[in-house]
Amino acid sequence: MIPIMARELTAMLRSWRAVALQIGFLACLGALVLLRWPSEARVDVGGVASRQVFRIFGYGLLIGLMLVTPAFPATTIVRERLQGTLALLLNSPIRPFSIVLGKLVGSVGFVLVLLVLSFPAAAACFAMGGIGLTSQLGALFLVLVVLAIEYAAVGLLVSSLVRSTDSALRVTYAAILALAFGSLAPSVLMNGSGWADSPFHAGAQLVGALSPLPPAMFAVGDTGFLPGESAGPLVLRFTIGAAIVSLLCIAITTLRLSSRPMDRARDAGRITDDRSPRARFVRRILYLWFFDPQRRSGLIAPWQNPVMVKEQRCRPLGRANWMMRLIGTYFVLSLLLVLGATTLSQSAGVTGVLSAIAVMQVSLIVLLAPSLASGLISSERESKGWQLLQMTPLSAATIVTGKLLSALFPLAFVMLATLPAYIALLALDPSQLRTALSIQITLIIFAFMAVLLSAGVGSLFRQTAGATAVAYSVIAAICVGTLFIWLGRDAPFTQQFVERVLTPNPLATMLSIIGTPGFADYRLIPANWYVMAAITVSSGTLLLLQVAKLGRPR
Amino acid sequence: MSSELVLSTSDLTKVYGTFTALDGLSISLERGRILGFIGPNGAGKTTTIKILVGLVKATRGNASICGAVCGQDTARIKRLVGYMPDVFGSYDNMRVFEYLDFFGAAFGIPRRDRKRRIDACLELTGAARMKDLFVESLSHGMKQRVALTRTLLHEPQMLILDEPANGLDPQARVEMRQVLLELARRGTSLIVTSHILPELARICDTVAIITGGKLRAFGSLDQIMRTVRHSRILEVVLADRAGVSQAATVIARELGNQAAISQSEASAELRFTTDRDDSGLSALLARLLDAGVRVAQFREIPMDLEDAFLSVTGQSGAKPSDAPSVTQIAREPQPGRVGAGA
Repeated sequence: MIPIMARELTAMLRSWRAVALQIGFLACLGALVLLRWPSEARVDVGGVASRQVFRIFGYGLLIGLMLVTPAFPATTIVRERLQGTLALLLNSPIRPFSIVLGKLVGSVGFVLVLLVLSFPAAAACFAMGGIGLTSQLGALFLVLVVLAIEYAAVGLLVSSLVRSTDSALRVTYAAILALAFGSLAPSVLMNGSGWADSPFHAGAQLVGALSPLPPAMFAVGDTGFLPGESAGPLVLRFTIGAAIVSLLCIAITTLRLSSRPMDRARDAGRITDDRSPRARFVRRILYLWFFDPQRRSGLIAPWQNPVMVKEQRCRPLGRANWMMRLIGTYFVLSLLLVLGATTLSQSAGVTGVLSAIAVMQVSLIVLLAPSLASGLISSERESKGWQLLQMTPLSAATIVTGKLLSALFPLAFVMLATLPAYIALLALDPSQLRTALSIQITLIIFAFMAVLLSAGVGSLFRQTAGATAVAYSVIAAICVGTLFIWLGRDAPFTQQFVERVLTPNPLATMLSIIGTPGFADYRLIPANWYVMAAITVSSGTLLLLQVAKLGRPR
Repeated sequence: MSSELVLSTSDLTKVYGTFTALDGLSISLERGRILGFIGPNGAGKTTTIKILVGLVKATRGNASICGAVCGQDTARIKRLVGYMPDVFGSYDNMRVFEYLDFFGAAFGIPRRDRKRRIDACLELTGAARMKDLFVESLSHGMKQRVALTRTLLHEPQMLILDEPANGLDPQARVEMRQVLLELARRGTSLIVTSHILPELARICDTVAIITGGKLRAFGSLDQIMRTVRHSRILEVVLADRAGVSQAATVIARELGNQAAISQSEASAELRFTTDRDDSGLSALLARLLDAGVRVAQFREIPMDLEDAFLSVTGQSGAKPSDAPSVTQIAREPQPGRVGAGA
């Protein structure tokens, strides 16, 4: 275990990205504390300022670790497999369990370094007063350490299952999103409904224990949302839940590595057209002919952009059968959300339902756009396909257009699948038409921005994994990072400052349009549309310049 | 066969900072000919190829393919040249037919002709049975065939193949060789790099040997052999083992210490090197016979491309300065061969 752990940790720590991350992390925390460090002779006996800073500090650490922790473990095994070093490792006397444990400890070690770097800022918050050492500071750090172990274990499991580094990141971030936010959805929906006393609600609460949000919120002092609870049991429940998930992930990953992971038959490349007439008939009925994954593809039509078709064909979710599954899932999900929000929660009202749909749609774009667009250029460079593209007569504009369309189309289809929810709501309350239209405009501009920003940022990287991780971070910084400043609204930040910071945030804009409590006071349109459009155009220009640069002879 | 020049380079040079990757390369190639481009790793082969296909800009000099200037007429070069790099460049989740369809569409092959072209090229390269397989599931040899098919789709006039036989099994190598010869027969000119020199020797009309960015030898294989052959290796097989040491003594006395004699008592054989011409060798044979050595065979070991390469690149024990310069080879008469004026 020791050699693996040492190699993983040194490999992570000696990269310039790790240094940049550590410096950026320290700078943010330092700035945060300095902002509220007492400069006057008066003493803040109640510790109000300290609690304000600690709240932002705690949430910042939580979201930062949620983004950073899985990036390394999620790519480690799959990268070893692609580079051919996994076979060497498995052929060594080191046992699969030691390999998994070494990689886990190495990944968590890096996160621990970040946590240690945050100690001075945490100590400063504590020194300002008003914060409990064990009930708040200790609880927060315990939640963060447990979270780091759990997410690293999830990342390792995904890394042992998938076949490429970018899909490893995509799946891991989706899993983490589901663990952190999705696990809370059932209990949130059942609260205040007729189901609150049913056994289902107890089950929903058990599932909710997997999320680090409730214990972290309690630790930073946000206790109003769960009356009657205290930090201790919440942290304990989360620790137990995370331990079970971590152990399961470690066990499955070890099993995967023990059971000859290289022992896979090559795909036989079966085609429906070559099957027996009966099998052909059954498959054509079953898959409605067009959606059959084993259907022989037709030739690319003259009116189609070949790069777009190529991108769709070489992306698993780009195939018609998977696209239909995805659209169907979101169609059902959006209708269930409307149904759930209107029937289960009497207090939700139209505002609550619209807010829930807005959060779902923004989450969908945040999750899908970087995964679809960040690797558009880097994957070509990584697979050496770029050289081949350069040798074709395709212009930079055709390549960029084709690649962007290949990301925009699936996103558009998936977003369209959530429209029935709006139609259902408008049927209930037609006066919301203007609000719904403004939301749709914001959403469309955001979808363009997310795709172009991911593609533009991703084009700067040689490796898809790096491009995907950074694209996710940038989009998350806009959609989630700016909300930390919102948390400090009224104090320490002024309303004007918060409004300015929230301007590029599509989620905040949509919530302000809807009039969601906490956001109703901000006027974010049309400024948000202009800012997002400007980011879109700048990212598009960056992408075009980068493609033109890569296409030029060196 | 037409003697039309399809490739000509003049003083082609590429400098990266202070490192000269390619230094004044001047070569030419006729239509339907195969040029074997050989050199050790880092010699400048791939740099040359990338300049020719427009991926790298030359620091000095110029190159043209079928009249199109490399680095300037980029669009024309892309249609004239089929380039197969040493890496495959695969896309996941794509079947071979879809992969080829994409490149066909990218080259603007009309839809009505595309399927026919794909099928014909797959047939030519022996990859027809792989049509429905997923690209990432192919073995290395299969991928090489598919890569060659991709290169042929737009009917290029010149093929540039970087290590096409790399990783192929003997059977696949023979088939690849046949395909390349067939393409040359149809009038396509080829530049082929390879480390498998016997393989190249079997198909190439012309050979260019490059080391350290400099062209060391260029011409037909025969010309290169003749020029680099400063010393000849001779083998003497005796009728009995007893005469081996006596024969060695006679040879050493006649040729001095330069002969580098190796002898095998077991097989009654001797090998030595000499720069004597045929009459000098005849005299040596007479001396052996006069000394009572019972000679059964007295013959010269023929030089192959590998020996020529090692001799030119100075890796056969000779100093690099012993390697002949291009000018030395160019002075040799080269009837009916390209490269005489290089």
